[in-house]
Amino acid sequence: MTGLLEIRNLSKSFDTTKVINDFSMEVVEGTICCLVGPNGAGKTTTMDLITGRIKPTSGQILFATDDITARHEHLIARAGIGRKFQVPAVLRDMSVRQNLEVAYSRQTNPFRNLFKFRKEGLKEKLDEVATLAGLTDRLKERAGILSHGETQWLEIGMVLMQEPRLLLMDEPIAGMTESEIEKTTQIFKDLRQSATLLVVEHDMGFVRNIADVVVVMHMGSLLAQGSIQEIEADRRVRDVYLGEQEAA
Amino acid sequence: MDLGSLINALILGVSIASIWLIAALGLTIIYGTAGVINMAHGELIMLGAYSSYMLQFYLGLPYLLCLPVSFVIVALVGLALERGLIRYLYNRPLDTLLATYGVSLVLMQGVRLIFGSDPKYLAVPEIFQSNVMIGSVSLSVFRIVVLLVTALLVLALWLLFYKTRFGVQVRAVMQDKEMAASFGINSSRIYMLTFALGAGLAGVAGALFGVLAIVLPTMGASYVVQAFLMVVVGGGSLAGSVVASGVTGELQSVFAFFTNDTFARFIIFVLIVAFLRFRPQGLFAQAGARR
Amino acid sequence: MGNLYHNKIAQWIVYVVFFAALTIIPMTVSDSFLLNQLATYGVYGMLALSISLCWGFGGILNLGQGIAFGLGAYGMAMTMQMQSQSESNPIPPFMLNNSLDHLPLLWQPFQSTAVGLVLAVAVPTLFCAAFGGIMFRARVSGPFFAIMTLAMLSAFYTIILDRQAYTGGVNGLTPPSSFVFAGVEVDPYSPTAYWVVLCLLAGATFVAKLITQSSFGLVTQAIRDDSERVRFLGYSVAGYETVIYTVSGLIAALAGCCWVMLVQYVSPAQLDVGFSLSMVIWAAIGGRHSLLGSILGAFIIQGAQSYLGDAFLATWLLILGGFFIVVVRFLPNGLASLVESGLGLFDRQRPTSSPAPDGGRPMPAE
Ligand SMILES: Nc1ncnc2c1ncn2[C@@H]1O[C@H](COP(=O)(O)OP(=O)(O)OP(=O)(O)O)[C@@H](O)[C@H]1O
Ligand SMILES: [Mg+2]
Repeated sequence: MTGLLEIRNLSKSFDTTKVINDFSMEVVEGTICCLVGPNGAGKTTTMDLITGRIKPTSGQILFATDDITARHEHLIARAGIGRKFQVPAVLRDMSVRQNLEVAYSRQTNPFRNLFKFRKEGLKEKLDEVATLAGLTDRLKERAGILSHGETQWLEIGMVLMQEPRLLLMDEPIAGMTESEIEKTTQIFKDLRQSATLLVVEHDMGFVRNIADVVVVMHMGSLLAQGSIQEIEADRRVRDVYLGEQEAA
Repeated sequence: MDLGSLINALILGVSIASIWLIAALGLTIIYGTAGVINMAHGELIMLGAYSSYMLQFYLGLPYLLCLPVSFVIVALVGLALERGLIRYLYNRPLDTLLATYGVSLVLMQGVRLIFGSDPKYLAVPEIFQSNVMIGSVSLSVFRIVVLLVTALLVLALWLLFYKTRFGVQVRAVMQDKEMAASFGINSSRIYMLTFALGAGLAGVAGALFGVLAIVLPTMGASYVVQAFLMVVVGGGSLAGSVVASGVTGELQSVFAFFTNDTFARFIIFVLIVAFLRFRPQGLFAQAGARR
Repeated sequence: MGNLYHNKIAQWIVYVVFFAALTIIPMTVSDSFLLNQLATYGVYGMLALSISLCWGFGGILNLGQGIAFGLGAYGMAMTMQMQSQSESNPIPPFMLNNSLDHLPLLWQPFQSTAVGLVLAVAVPTLFCAAFGGIMFRARVSGPFFAIMTLAMLSAFYTIILDRQAYTGGVNGLTPPSSFVFAGVEVDPYSPTAYWVVLCLLAGATFVAKLITQSSFGLVTQAIRDDSERVRFLGYSVAGYETVIYTVSGLIAALAGCCWVMLVQYVSPAQLDVGFSLSMVIWAAIGGRHSLLGSILGAFIIQGAQSYLGDAFLATWLLILGGFFIVVVRFLPNGLASLVESGLGLFDRQRPTSSPAPDGGRPMPAE
C-alpha cells in the first residue's frame, strides 16, 4: 500500500514566521485520514499548500506519485483533488443547481465548452448529490441566501460533483446539528469505497467515528500519527491538544 | 549623442515629473486611503483652473492667491461629491469608477454650458513668463514655480500623514477599518476629509495647469489616465507616486530627446503596462494589502 | 412557473421578434440618409453587445474596447483606401503629402481586399487574445484590468496620432469611394449596407446568446461571482477570461469594419477614451446582464443624441451623465432589471420581496 498523497518535508514561511515546519505525512488510498491540532497549528495552511493556493518554501507534495508541488490550482484540481474550504466558499450569486452544475467539471476546456449544452451524466449525478446533501427542494434558490448549515452541505455537494480521487474537507461539520453530523459520518464512510478523504476536524467524537488514521499537527510539525486509540493514549497529544479540548 | 544634451533632457525631465506628480497627488490620497478610483479627477483639475479664472476675472485676485482659494473651492466640491455619492459606493470599486465617470461628464458639460467652449487664459505675474537658464536648458520660471509648489505639497502631505494625529487615523483606517472603528476612529469622517483633501489638491493642480496650457472644459480628460497610471504604478502610496512620476518624467524626457513627445508617451504607456504585468501591486505595496 | 424573464424559450422568442422588427425598417424607410444612420446604430449595438458579453457575463470591465473597434476600423479603411488606388497610382494621397515615395510594408497586404478584410478582423482579435492572455494569466482583474485597458487604449491613440505618414495622423483616413466586395459595390446609403450590418448584429447576438447559455457561459458567470473558488473546481480562470475577452474583441472589430463601410472615415477619435466609455454607458444603462438590453441601451442613447442634434449636445451629455450616475447608484443592472422586476410581479410563486438590499446582485441567468 502506497500513499495516494505524500507530503515530504514541507515547510512554509510567511515573512519570517515558519508556519509549516518540515512536515511529512501520507494518506493511503481508500482511507479516511483526520488531521487534527490546536488552532493555528497549520492545518488549513497545509490544505492551501496541497491545492496550490500557496507555494511551499521547501518540500514536496506527491499525488498518485506525480509531483504536484509547482502546479497551478486548476491543474491540481483536475488531477483529482477536491476541496471544501473552512469558510464555506460557494458561488453566492448563482442558484444551488448552478453551483452543483459548475462543480461537475469533467470537461474544463473553454473551447470545448463554448457551445456545449448537454453534459453526459449530469442529471443523474446532480439528482444523486442533491438528495445526499438534502438540497433537492432548494435547487432554485440563490446560494447566498442559504443558512450556514445548508451552505456547508452545498459545498460538500460541490466537492462530490467534482468526483475527485482525494477529498480535502476543512471542518466539514461546523454548524451542523447532531443528526446532520450522523448523516455526514455515514456519507464519508460510504465515500471511502471510491475515494480517499483527508478531513480536518476539531470534533473528536466525529473523528473517532470516521478516522482510519489520525495525524496530529502542532506548531506546523507532525506531533503524532496512528489509530485513534493510539492518539488518545499519547501523552504529548493530551498535553498540547486533547487536554485543552476537555478543558473547553 | 553628447553628454550635454542628455543632461539637458534630465533637467527637463524633473520639470515633466513634477507635472505628472502634481496631477497624480490628489488621486494618490483618495485611492491610497479609500481605494476609490475617481474618474472625475481630471474634471476636478479642470474646476481648479476655472476657479482661478473666475477669481481673477471677477474678483481680480492675484494669481498666487488663486492657488489656495482654488484648493478650498475644489475641496468643497469634493466634499459634496463624497457625501452625496461616493460614500454609498465604497464597497463597489467598479461602480465608483463608473459613477465618477458620470460625474466627470456632468462637470465637463456643466462648465461648458456656463463658460462656453472657447478657451480662457490665466494671467500670471510678469516674471513667471520669463525664462531662466539652468545649465544650458532654458526653462520658464513658471515651470520652476510648478516644481516648487509640488515639492511643498509633497512635504506638507508627508508631514500630515506621518506627523499628525489625523495621519495616524488615516493610516489606521487604511489598514483595518473595523479595527480602527473599535478605537473610536470615525472612518466615514476620515474618508470624507481625505476625499476633500484629494479634490483640493486637484484644484491646485488645475490652477497651475491653467497657466501651462489653456483653460478648456475638456482639459481634464488628458490628465486623468496619466494620473491613474502614476498612482497604480506607485501602489497608491505617496512615496510610490513620487518615485513613479520621477522615473516616468525622466524617461519621457529622454525618449522624447531621441524621438518626439508623442512617441515618447506611447513608449511610456507600453512600459507601464509591461511593468504592471509583473508587479500588479505597484512599486510599494501598501501594508494593508487590498485585493 | 418562475419569472418569465428567466425563461429561456421566452428569451429566444423576444430576440427573434426584435430582429424580425429590424428587418422591416429598410422596407418602410425611404430616406437613405436615415437608413444609413440607423445602420450606424446597429454598429453601436454590436459594441454594446460586446461590452455586455465581456463585462455583464464575464465580469471583465473593459474600458478599452476602442482598441478592437479602432483597429478593425483602420484595417477596413486601409482596405477601402487601397481599393481606390491603381497600378499606376499605388500610393494614397496623404502619404504623398507626407513625402512617402513607396507603399509602406504595413500597407502592402491591404492591396488585396480579401487579405485586408481578414487582417482587419484578425489583428484586433489576436491582439485581444495576446493582451488578455498575458494580463489574465498574471491575475490582473477588476479595476486594475480596467485601468490597464485604458493605458493600452491611450498607447494606441498616441501611436496612431504620431505615425502620420502611415495612419493619416489626426486627420485619419477617408477612403474616397464605397466598399466593393466580390464585384458588388456596397453603397453606404443603400439597403444593402443596412442588411450587412443587421446580419452581423443578429449573427453576433445569436452566437453570444448561445455562448452565455452554454457550459462556457455558466463557468464565466461563476468566475464573475468568485474567480478564486472556480480555480479549485479545475477550470483555468485565465483561459476562460481570455476567450470571452477575445470573442468580445472580435465582435468589436467587426463593428469597426461595418462602421467604416458606413461612414467612409476613421480617425484617432474612434480610439478616444470617451468613446470607449460611452460603450460602457450604453451597456450599463440598458442592462449589462442582458445582451438585448445592452443593444437597446445603445439604440436609445445614440438615437436620443442624434435626435436632439449637435446644438443640444452639451445639455444632452449633462443629462446622460446625471442619468448614468443614478443608474449606477440605484439600478446597477440597468433598465433591463426594471423589466425583470416588472415580469416578477406576475410570478405568483415568489412574492416580489426579494430585491436585494445591496442592489448589486447579478441575476442567475440572462
Ligand atoms: N497569509 C498568512 N500570512 C501570515 N500568517 C499566516 C497566513 N496564513 C496563515 N498564517 C498563520 O499560520 C498559522 C496557521 O494557520 P492555519 O489557518 O493553517 O491554522 P489552522 O490549523 O487551520 O487553525 P484553525 O483550527 O483555527 O483553523 C496561524 O498562526 C496563522 O496566523
Ligand atoms: Mg483552519
